[in-house]
Amino acid sequence: MTKVNIMKKMPEKVIIPLKQHDGTACDPLVKKGDMVCEGQKIGECGVYNSASVHSSVSGEVISIEEAPHPNGNKVNSVIIQLSEEPECVDFNPKDVQDSELADFIKDAGIVEHYGFPTHMVLKPEGKKIDVVLVNATSSEWIGGHYDTPSQYSSQMLDALKLLMRASGASKGAIVLRNDDLESINAFDGLNYDGKPITVAPLVGKRKINYYFKDMSSDIVVVSQEHIYGKKILDLFTYNVTGRKVSFGCVPTDVGVAICSVKSAKALYDAVNAGKPYIETVVSVSGKVNNPQKILVKIGTTFKDVIEECGGYIGEPGKLIANGSITGVAQYTDEVPVSKTTTSIYVQSADEVVRGESVDCTHCARCVDVCPVNLIPSRIAAMSDQGRFDECRQMHIMNCVECGRCAAVCPSKIHVLQLIKYAKNSIEKAYEDLAPKESPANLKLGCGCSGGE
Amino acid sequence: MTFTISAPPHRKEAITFKKMTWAKVIALMPVVLLSVYLFGLPAIGLVIASILAAVVTEVAIQKAFNQKITIDDGSTILIGLMVAMIIPPEAPLWIPMIGSVFAIGIGKHAFGGIGSYVFNPVLAAWVFLSLAWWSIMSPLSYPQTTALSDLILETGAGHIAGVSPLALLIPGCILILLRYVEWRIPVSFFLTTILLAVLVGDSLSYVVLGVVLFGILFLATDTSSSPVTKNGRVIYGIVCGVLVVVYGHFANYVDAIFYGLFLANCVSSLIDNNTLPESYGTETFLQRKYKRILSKVPFKDRLEVLLND
Ligand code: SF4
Ligand code: SF4
Repeated sequence: MTKVNIMKKMPEKVIIPLKQHDGTACDPLVKKGDMVCEGQKIGECGVYNSASVHSSVSGEVISIEEAPHPNGNKVNSVIIQLSEEPECVDFNPKDVQDSELADFIKDAGIVEHYGFPTHMVLKPEGKKIDVVLVNATSSEWIGGHYDTPSQYSSQMLDALKLLMRASGASKGAIVLRNDDLESINAFDGLNYDGKPITVAPLVGKRKINYYFKDMSSDIVVVSQEHIYGKKILDLFTYNVTGRKVSFGCVPTDVGVAICSVKSAKALYDAVNAGKPYIETVVSVSGKVNNPQKILVKIGTTFKDVIEECGGYIGEPGKLIANGSITGVAQYTDEVPVSKTTTSIYVQSADEVVRGESVDCTHCARCVDVCPVNLIPSRIAAMSDQGRFDECRQMHIMNCVECGRCAAVCPSKIHVLQLIKYAKNSIEKAYEDLAPKESPANLKLGCGCSGGE
Repeated sequence: MTFTISAPPHRKEAITFKKMTWAKVIALMPVVLLSVYLFGLPAIGLVIASILAAVVTEVAIQKAFNQKITIDDGSTILIGLMVAMIIPPEAPLWIPMIGSVFAIGIGKHAFGGIGSYVFNPVLAAWVFLSLAWWSIMSPLSYPQTTALSDLILETGAGHIAGVSPLALLIPGCILILLRYVEWRIPVSFFLTTILLAVLVGDSLSYVVLGVVLFGILFLATDTSSSPVTKNGRVIYGIVCGVLVVVYGHFANYVDAIFYGLFLANCVSSLIDNNTLPESYGTETFLQRKYKRILSKVPFKDRLEVLLND
């Protein structure tokens, strides 16, 4: 069980971005010079595609300005100088009605680590959700939080129930990774609601529907292979439920809501402890003296987190948020941990990849590693020539942006960038094409019919 | 503190194209050394002349077209070496030189260089030389093919590439295990050849020659002239095997391996285009048919339970 440490030394100031998700930025509720306390709401926005932002510490607002954000842009942020005396709003357990849960989640500021506000995943406008999945395959077990493994597993199941209540879905599943024995053992044999839980593997045609029937239960725990990447949601939906998400659609279009372990836990805490989303677990690795998993307040700068982990080893060369394969390289370490930050990785100067690309030799290594059966080399070549239509015919939209193709390429071709470039161009083309408010009964770009 | 900013991925495998080609060159060294032992100095002369000619041609072409000189990536040297290996050791020195000039100039650069050529330059050179100087290109002696012990050392006959099957097989397999050479083509090629040869009744010691193994492990796996799709590579291996046995059965397997591979090169892009993978979750032809039949079956409500899984 990897232990999660709690950050001991309080930072001097925190930078809390007013936008920590895809969607509309919040308006600040405080102004310069105000005193705030821990858990106080400092940003809110009336529209649906936004989640509130809370202060994670108590102190004085020293400014509201554009500050660096780990996604590489600058975002309007509230900068708070910590006060000597920590103050905290009262956290009380809440008794929330099912119909109010979505608003409650929005209010507690819970967002998915891939950037979507959780309430929009659970209650998308105009769509109906019938299955909720908790994806525990990408985030490692955050079991270090808990005293015993069974506490983790039963809390996850409780959280799943809350998520189902919020979305109105009748069925739910927790998806584990099949090489993550710790979690599997934590769930296997657990007695929940008088029923023993068995972790079932997803193999071949046996998707969760099979297990719902087989175990005559509305809640199942399944395991599958590890897939990673930036845009795995569509593939994940298919692997787990067998529903295919077509181009231009998202899993919610086929009635599937996917939440992460982090947001499930945040919801559990919000309901049972009344605590909004103000802290998150970040794993720090690479060239730091004391790599670890650490629970930090949102808004703590990377610099403070790394100091807590013993500081850099030598001169750092590259600082990466969210993973060495797909993450974003940072230009400064004065950038805050946000709700979507899952890891910090430091490279020394000589580890930084510098390689000149040479011609593709058709060695097919990229083909062998692609988890969704694409021909990355050919797609990259097409993208380079601007032949995006042909890229589409080669199912470029299935790419989960895992970056393996670029990592294994002996010719050091920038395969992933070329693929992303083509994907963006295709998406843009469709955005322009689809009329915002279509007068005709015609739907462009979307072929989904709400699941089969 | 300055941080480097660049696009992901931030970590890559250490393997490079340069390493891969040099590894192949090194893997061929045991055979070359053995051939020097068996054939004497002419073998060294052949190799040196061939590599020199290849390098000079490459530099001349890249200078003439203002390209970056890429001798250090090893591919020119590899091509030069392989050309020397498929020429009989008795041949005069100008034969490998013309061969290398043709391989680099026409086989590689005329088609657009590394990654773009359609025919393996080594095979192209072989075809060219054989058509022009057939008498010189036929080895004085073909390998003894009576005893299976020849699998270890085919004493002093044929080409450099054929002196010792074992000395090719072991480095070749190591390359495959290290993933420097991919496995699908050689495996399916090898199995098809053996299976068909047994079926048509050719003695195995007649089939498993050094040159054949050289073809399977080093010529067929040339990346530019073989398909990239997973299924395509298996099919390509099978096509190679079939062609080689067809030629070999009616003539000899030494020439068959070169001709067979050369022809297989012609169809490799065709194979590629016809084996592009479907999107995940797409039903295959058989699944579609199966569903259609089932949808016509009455009482399908009862079958629903089965179908839903
Ligand atoms: S194309 Fe590359 S980045 Fe996309 S899924 Fe395949 S291996 Fe991953
Ligand atoms: S791994 Fe690189 S060199 Fe090999 S086929 Fe893919 S893109 Fe081309």
